Amino acid sequence: MPSLLSLFQSCKTESRLDWQPAFLKEEEVKTISALLDMILPRTETPGALDVKADMFIDKVFAETYDITGQKNIRAEIATFNADCKKNFGAIFTDLNEADRTKVLQEAETTSEKFNPGIWGVSLGKQKPIGFYRSMKSMAIWAYFTSEEMGKKVLSYDPIPGNYDPCKPLSGVGNRWSL
Amino acid sequence: MGGRSLLWGKQTYRWSDLDFEANAKDGNGVDWPIRYKDIKPWYTYVEKFAGISGEAMNLPQLPDSHFLPPMEMNCVEKHIKGRIEKEFSDRNMIIGRCAHLTQPHNGRGQCQNRNRCSRGCPYGAYFSSNAVTLPPANASGNLTIRPYSIVQSLIYDEAKEKVTGVRIIDSETNEAIEYSSKIIFVNASTLSTTQILLNSKSSRFENGLGNDSGELGHNLMDHTYRVGAMGKVAGFDDKYYKGRRPNGIYIPRYVNIDENSKSDKFVRGFGFQGEGFRGGNPANIESFGADYKDSILKPGPWEFFITGFAECLPYHDNQVTLNGDVLDKWGQPTLSIDAEFKANEKALNKQIQEDAVEMLQKVGLKDILGFDKEHPPGYGVHEMGTARMGRDPKTSVLNDFNQVHAAKNVFVTDGACMTSSSCVNPSLTYMALTARAANHAVSELKKLNF
Repeated sequence: MPSLLSLFQSCKTESRLDWQPAFLKEEEVKTISALLDMILPRTETPGALDVKADMFIDKVFAETYDITGQKNIRAEIATFNADCKKNFGAIFTDLNEADRTKVLQEAETTSEKFNPGIWGVSLGKQKPIGFYRSMKSMAIWAYFTSEEMGKKVLSYDPIPGNYDPCKPLSGVGNRWSL
Repeated sequence: MGGRSLLWGKQTYRWSDLDFEANAKDGNGVDWPIRYKDIKPWYTYVEKFAGISGEAMNLPQLPDSHFLPPMEMNCVEKHIKGRIEKEFSDRNMIIGRCAHLTQPHNGRGQCQNRNRCSRGCPYGAYFSSNAVTLPPANASGNLTIRPYSIVQSLIYDEAKEKVTGVRIIDSETNEAIEYSSKIIFVNASTLSTTQILLNSKSSRFENGLGNDSGELGHNLMDHTYRVGAMGKVAGFDDKYYKGRRPNGIYIPRYVNIDENSKSDKFVRGFGFQGEGFRGGNPANIESFGADYKDSILKPGPWEFFITGFAECLPYHDNQVTLNGDVLDKWGQPTLSIDAEFKANEKALNKQIQEDAVEMLQKVGLKDILGFDKEHPPGYGVHEMGTARMGRDPKTSVLNDFNQVHAAKNVFVTDGACMTSSSCVNPSLTYMALTARAANHAVSELKKLNF
């Protein structure tokens, strides 16, 4: 039977969320957050977690996915962690940085890519996008459309006025957010 | 209020006699009862009112409009234009002709390049009923608008032998109300217009108002859509643009326009819309982490695509009919649509994709991808026909002034009236036909002919 002291110590080492997810369970949030932080870490510019991309993605699952979609994402997170355990001995959040990197490098080479598109429509027959690249795409979407990135880091121009058809990139800097 | 005029693509092109003569020349459908010379002054009339921007090119197959200054091509588009016109001396690439103001016009503001048109434009900078035609109509003091009204049918007075008004159903209260009028313009949009006419039955018109010919509901057309090619453009990494231009480039029809360009694979033709932009999908890059993140803050690679719109022949079999077995929530029969693209359209699409790929190859693009989404009619959202104009009441529904042959106080000037479909966007032609028909209606009214 665990001693009172060891119980107390295990509570201290467990991180607790400081927000209430609408859909994801705490363990699932930790997996998603760890993924987001590895794909888009903080550098001199904010990282995905700095702009609360994890909260946004949880909200997207809760409010826009139907029952089947929610079941699927849950299963995909579980499969992702099960594969980590099988290949590296632990779930994603319990791996060290080097092993997490290996997991993502493997996912990059094996994960299907998005077909090109025009006017918002994908061209050709899109092969199903797996969990990793789908999450990566959501991460970028959440990141680029956050207010901080959209207004302060990316180039923000809500009312351009005249169209300047051939502006040097050096005169703009980062990509337009809108 | 505003309907499709709020959501349309704003691309505006005149037809030429190449289009108006096509049915007569190749024997498909029936002859148009008008020619370019009949509609030319009305194109000018609506263009001066609406404000159409573009560049005059003096192309016989694509007559110039009365233009406001054209929008500009970005550097990649300019580069590709130069290369295409060099490699293919019979082809042109122009900036799109569109119903956007490039300078203030009639009290409306010029386009601010936000590309948020479908949210409604606070400047009135693109043509919509709300921004352009309804305000002066309201200022006349003669306008009454009654929204939430489902037009159920036109009222035919058997004793007077004329149409005397419309029956509506209030969409919220289900109340049936009748309105009387000397003149009626049925412009509910192509399919809804014909649905109303089909639903207007009487002992004189057992098969729908104006349907003596049996052609009401038939000869439905749409442009083919999402066939073309895209590719990557190298050499412009240090160039970008500022502003979200709500317009692209256009390659006017170059096939079957004269003896030299005759095809033995199909009749009629196609044009291309397209665009150059910095795109790519950062999610596809096989990388992650700090350097990756910093790199995707920069714009993606330059890409360019062209997508073709092909003319659809008028086939009797492509039709809409009333379905009395499936009623809508107001108890009205729904409309069944039965239409497909046939051999000529498929041949045009094949040529579109081959030509698109060839053009992009010849101008040096990389990673070229041809595409054909194989859309059925409807995706082009340029649906036309089902109450066509014609010379002969035995084979058409409307005369040369868009009047129902057998009920001359009823006019149809939306897509339903179209006898053929051309390959160019049709809305400007609807506007011109409408102004011309309204002018005729007024002159007939003054002569007490109604």
